[in-house]
Amino acid sequence: MVLEFDCILTSYDQATMICIDNSEWMRNGDYNPSRFQAQADAVNLICGAKTQSNPENTVGVLTIAGKGVRVLVTPTSDLGKILACMHGLEIGGEMNLAAGIQVAQLALKHRQNKKQQQRIIVFAGSPIKHDKKALEMIGRKLKKNSVALDIVDFGEDDDGKAEKLEALLASVNNNDTSHIVHVPPGPNALSDVLISTPIFTGDSEGGSGFAAAAAAAAAGGVSGFEFGVDPNLDPELALALRVSMEEERARQEAAAKKAAEEAAKHEKGEEQPSSSQDATMTESASVTASEADNKRNDITDEENALLQQALAMSMDDPASSHELRDTDMSDTAADDPDLTLALQLSVQDSAKDSGSQTDMSKLLADQSFVSSILASLPGVDPNDPSVKDLLASMQSQSEPQEKKDEDEPKEEK
Amino acid sequence: MNKVDLVDFVDWSGVECLNQNSSHSLPNALKQGYREDDGLNLESDADEQLLINIPFTQVVKLYSVVVKGPEEEGPKTVKLFSNKEHMGFSNVNEFPPSDTAILSPDNLKEKPVVLKYVKFQNVRSLTIFIEDNQSGSDITKVQKIALFGTTVETTDMKGLKKIEDH
Repeated sequence: MVLEFDCILTSYDQATMICIDNSEWMRNGDYNPSRFQAQADAVNLICGAKTQSNPENTVGVLTIAGKGVRVLVTPTSDLGKILACMHGLEIGGEMNLAAGIQVAQLALKHRQNKKQQQRIIVFAGSPIKHDKKALEMIGRKLKKNSVALDIVDFGEDDDGKAEKLEALLASVNNNDTSHIVHVPPGPNALSDVLISTPIFTGDSEGGSGFAAAAAAAAAGGVSGFEFGVDPNLDPELALALRVSMEEERARQEAAAKKAAEEAAKHEKGEEQPSSSQDATMTESASVTASEADNKRNDITDEENALLQQALAMSMDDPASSHELRDTDMSDTAADDPDLTLALQLSVQDSAKDSGSQTDMSKLLADQSFVSSILASLPGVDPNDPSVKDLLASMQSQSEPQEKKDEDEPKEEK
Repeated sequence: MNKVDLVDFVDWSGVECLNQNSSHSLPNALKQGYREDDGLNLESDADEQLLINIPFTQVVKLYSVVVKGPEEEGPKTVKLFSNKEHMGFSNVNEFPPSDTAILSPDNLKEKPVVLKYVKFQNVRSLTIFIEDNQSGSDITKVQKIALFGTTVETTDMKGLKKIEDH
């Protein structure tokens, strides 16, 4: 299903180097569960998004604090290799932003496929010792060599840090290919905040199918464009998303009604975010519904059903698993990072892989299985009413999907 | 054999230019129609250097180049490399150029620079490194780049356009 997204979309080959701040400042817990873990999760997500959106994309990772700048892995399309190198990282020292960027630039220069566009993503979570002029020189050199730069400004917030980073961005930015995101500490996970930014959704090049779907689902239209995809750049994808949203709306209304009734009895607060999210999406969908009707002839029902299924999975799962994930991060991260990672990956995978979707949806639908997982997580009470609501909505979701999964083999093209 | 304007043999899908200003880009200087307009220039961005890669659709022999530019910001030192792709600013000076031209004010007014022909007998791609400009200003401006020579394979005698001698 999301394979169809990738076919419609033209995603340019990218080579990306991610610079991780593993300085002493990362021990702080003002981001959940710690600055370092929040950063690591964001990095994992970015790596997944880049490699999934285009199999030709390569990603490399280096650390910029510790005993010195160290390249963990040079640009590769092997996601397993990238994630593996993230284990056992040591925290300490102070970051050297200039050296980090220069080494990243060198690593990109030696990429195998010279046709790939070069990009550096830097996580700046601690004070910057360089002055503005030095950073501007670095930025100009990047621009001269056609390297784009994404900056994540988080963590420590001293005088002039944001200003220095903005100056760096201004010197490297060429036609909005570079971006900066300031993430203050707060209840939302660093990854969640980043998912709706151009760091995930890409820029005017066209972005990535996975990121567009994730952005649309998680941010509910915050990214500016309807579904994180510019209709001018990719009308087919935008249209496909619009049409499937139209159908999704009808089913969502029925499901939302049921969920809202139950929520009215228990805590209203938790249901509000997800239902208002649905409202935002449906509003934007209804405006273009008439156009979608005229062009409906162009899209077969098969594609509709498949797209709808994909969006439903990616829409419902983040909404329902937000609470799962938040609980995961705070309680299980220290105890069982593997479980956390596996859960995360499986949630992502189930939104993309049609083959495993049947298994995943059946697993998730199996209430007893999910309850047992939840029970094993400290801090989650399976008898909690909000958790019960989520299970209920997931259950109703899985039934139409199983029907469609059966239809799938007959509809193979 | 008469020399022809090689613009017809440029492989546009592979043409690249590093450090160009995105609103004053290479087609302004290289493409027919644009290059004739002196108001449409190729301009450098972060500093005064430019690195241009021009692949061809077939192997050519290069005889001369014309680089037209304004008196002050026009290019001065121009290094040409035959068949040397994927260089960057950091390593371009590590390789010996096939030829180097220091442009005079006449050159900037379209007087062709005749090259060391023997070095350009078998050119699949041409890389032009503009190292500095006439006045030392931060931005280099190029109004026109034209390349003259012959193809190695068959030439259509009827299609040849005779080049006037300046």
